[in-house]
Amino acid sequence: MSQAASPTPKQKYDLNFARWVYENVDGGDRMALCMQCGTCSGSCPIGTQMDYGPRKLFMMIRAGLKEKVLTSNTLWNCVSCYNCVVRCPRKVPVTYILHDLATLAVREGYAEATHSDNALFAKAFWWSATKYGRTDERLVTAKYYFAFGMSEGYKRGMANMKIALGMVRTKRMHIGMPHKVKETSELHKILAKAAEIEARNNNK
Amino acid sequence: MESTTRSRTILVVGGGISGITTAVEAAEAGHDVVLVEKSPTLGGRVAQLNRYFPKLCHPTCGLEINFQRIKKSRRIKVFTMATVAAVKGGAGGYTVTVKTSPRHVKPNCTACGDCGRAATSEIANPFNYNMDKVKAAYLPHTMAFPMRYVIDGSVAGTPEGEAIKAACKIGAVDLDEKEETFDVEVGAVVWATGWRPYPAEKLTAYRYDLPNVITNVEMERLASPDGPTKGKILRPSDGQAPKKIALIQCAGSRDLNHLAYCSRICCLASMKHAAYVREQLADAVVDVYYIDLRAHDKLESFLLRVKDDPQVRFVKSKPARIDPGAGDNPILCGENTLTREVYAEPYDLVVLATGMQPSTAEGDMPAFDGDLDDYGFIFPEGETISAGVAAGPLDVSMSVQSATAAALKAIRATMA
Ligand SMILES: Cc1cc2nc3c(=O)[nH]c(=O)nc-3n(C[C@H](O)[C@H](O)[C@H](O)COP(=O)(O)OP(=O)(O)OC[C@H]3O[C@@H](n4cnc5c(N)ncnc54)[C@H](O)[C@@H]3O)c2cc1C
Ligand code: SF4
Ligand code: SF4
Repeated sequence: MSQAASPTPKQKYDLNFARWVYENVDGGDRMALCMQCGTCSGSCPIGTQMDYGPRKLFMMIRAGLKEKVLTSNTLWNCVSCYNCVVRCPRKVPVTYILHDLATLAVREGYAEATHSDNALFAKAFWWSATKYGRTDERLVTAKYYFAFGMSEGYKRGMANMKIALGMVRTKRMHIGMPHKVKETSELHKILAKAAEIEARNNNK
Repeated sequence: MESTTRSRTILVVGGGISGITTAVEAAEAGHDVVLVEKSPTLGGRVAQLNRYFPKLCHPTCGLEINFQRIKKSRRIKVFTMATVAAVKGGAGGYTVTVKTSPRHVKPNCTACGDCGRAATSEIANPFNYNMDKVKAAYLPHTMAFPMRYVIDGSVAGTPEGEAIKAACKIGAVDLDEKEETFDVEVGAVVWATGWRPYPAEKLTAYRYDLPNVITNVEMERLASPDGPTKGKILRPSDGQAPKKIALIQCAGSRDLNHLAYCSRICCLASMKHAAYVREQLADAVVDVYYIDLRAHDKLESFLLRVKDDPQVRFVKSKPARIDPGAGDNPILCGENTLTREVYAEPYDLVVLATGMQPSTAEGDMPAFDGDLDDYGFIFPEGETISAGVAAGPLDVSMSVQSATAAALKAIRATMA
């Protein structure tokens, strides 16, 4: 996705935001073909947990409701099951679009996005993956819990202690040093290169 | 064209309403016509309808008069159970190889039915989309044209076959008949090969494997007096009259995973189905699930008439899937796009409004060099002449118009 800021509609029927999404969001060009059939929202295993669901969200993008779109929980409640993508009669890659919009919402600093459980968890997950090349459940969980503040982190940690010890006992979770890939320095070089390529592509 | 022996004869492939129309029009304008039909009877898919919109008349209306015109005409030669194996040449001079399958009944059959009474084994009945069975010696349907029995090849060489043969007092049964091919010389070829229902089993989320999920073409047969239930709309699982019925529009059509185009007739066919149900079952409710309703031209008045009935409800939603439910009731799941409600609604019977796929999808026609469009319809361009649904998704009246135009093009081709 382009690094440029997305335009905020200033008046009714301002199509700038919709156009920006069509052009910059992964799969956005196909979103332009959405015929509002409802298959995606009806296929979603947690469709009832979403404020708008993908179909309505896409219509809101067309209507220029940027603020509401980027603060929607639909972006965060998608579990990437791809049911909607498989069934969409217009081959709209719904999942990709939701992911990119979530990224956009974080980048543009929408509080609902940056403070959402999913964003904080994703951040913790990414931190472990990039640092060690593996996800270490203990570190990811700890980082995620403490993202809500010291006392909240402690509270959540304590509340789950029994489960954690049970997992250790049944060898579902290990104690000791974090799991790592062999050459973390090589991994970091790969990631740096990927970032460089992405930046280059975005500036094209 | 360099062809020296020009032929004024026109070959029409497919004997549905379109092929019949082209044949009759060309013959009445003074041309000889060879009409080749794959099935044992003429009439195509229209013969399989219960009634047809907009006026809900019986299919005999349109067909019977045309059968009379064919009978009266000395210029039309009809081959049933026949297909085209190869086409050579060009406009003005084609050599077409026709292949016939054995009917095992000669033209002198009087349709007395003695052979049918002698038959003991049964085969699936294609006229009723395999919802019931017929005897191995059968009349394809009550208004068959030609009115002539067919004997299934499975009885040849069996004692049953001998009994069937012996039962025919006029000796019309010929169990030794074989497949045959022969050539005809014609000046033009018109493709009127029509359509087949899009295979519902490909719509995996719609669970056509469940007993009470049927297709719109099956609904036509259920409602027909000569159908598997003698015209009573009953659910397949238990033979009970359904009280709550869902019709799902665009089942396969307007879907890039299936048929990318709008089949154009299924919205109106479903209005007809709502009308069939409401005529028979006073307390039944019908829910129509749609993306948008496409009643073209003057047919909108039919849609409005059905909409007036409070027991026919409209839900703006393409259902996401069907789940099996208690009591063999399929459960429709999806999002109502007007209310944003996510529903899971059980029904006694669900009808999938499957679209029309061109018969070329069956892959038993000679190759067309580049004359098929992206969807398999035969594009009327250059020397290729197509009529009716072979050329695109059309209703009967539009098919007839296109067939008349095709007759004119064919006549011109023979004169080119
Ligand atoms: C559920 C449903 C309900 C409908 N109801 C209505 C209605 O109420 N009113 C209306 O106007 N329209 C209706 N239609 C549309 C209507 O069925 C078509 O417009 C009509 O069948 C077109 O006729 P046709 O001759 O072009 O094709 P077809 O009816 O398909 O006839 C084609 C013929 O060609 C033959 N054939 C195929 N391949 C070959 C081959 N290789 N060689 C030789 N012969 C071949 C076939 O056996 C068939 O007899 C309905 C459609 C559906 C799906
Ligand atoms: S399934 Fe596809 S076409 Fe239908 S509403 Fe969703 S995105 Fe739009
Ligand atoms: S006619 Fe209606 S049901 Fe059929 S494909 Fe078109 S919109 Fe869908």
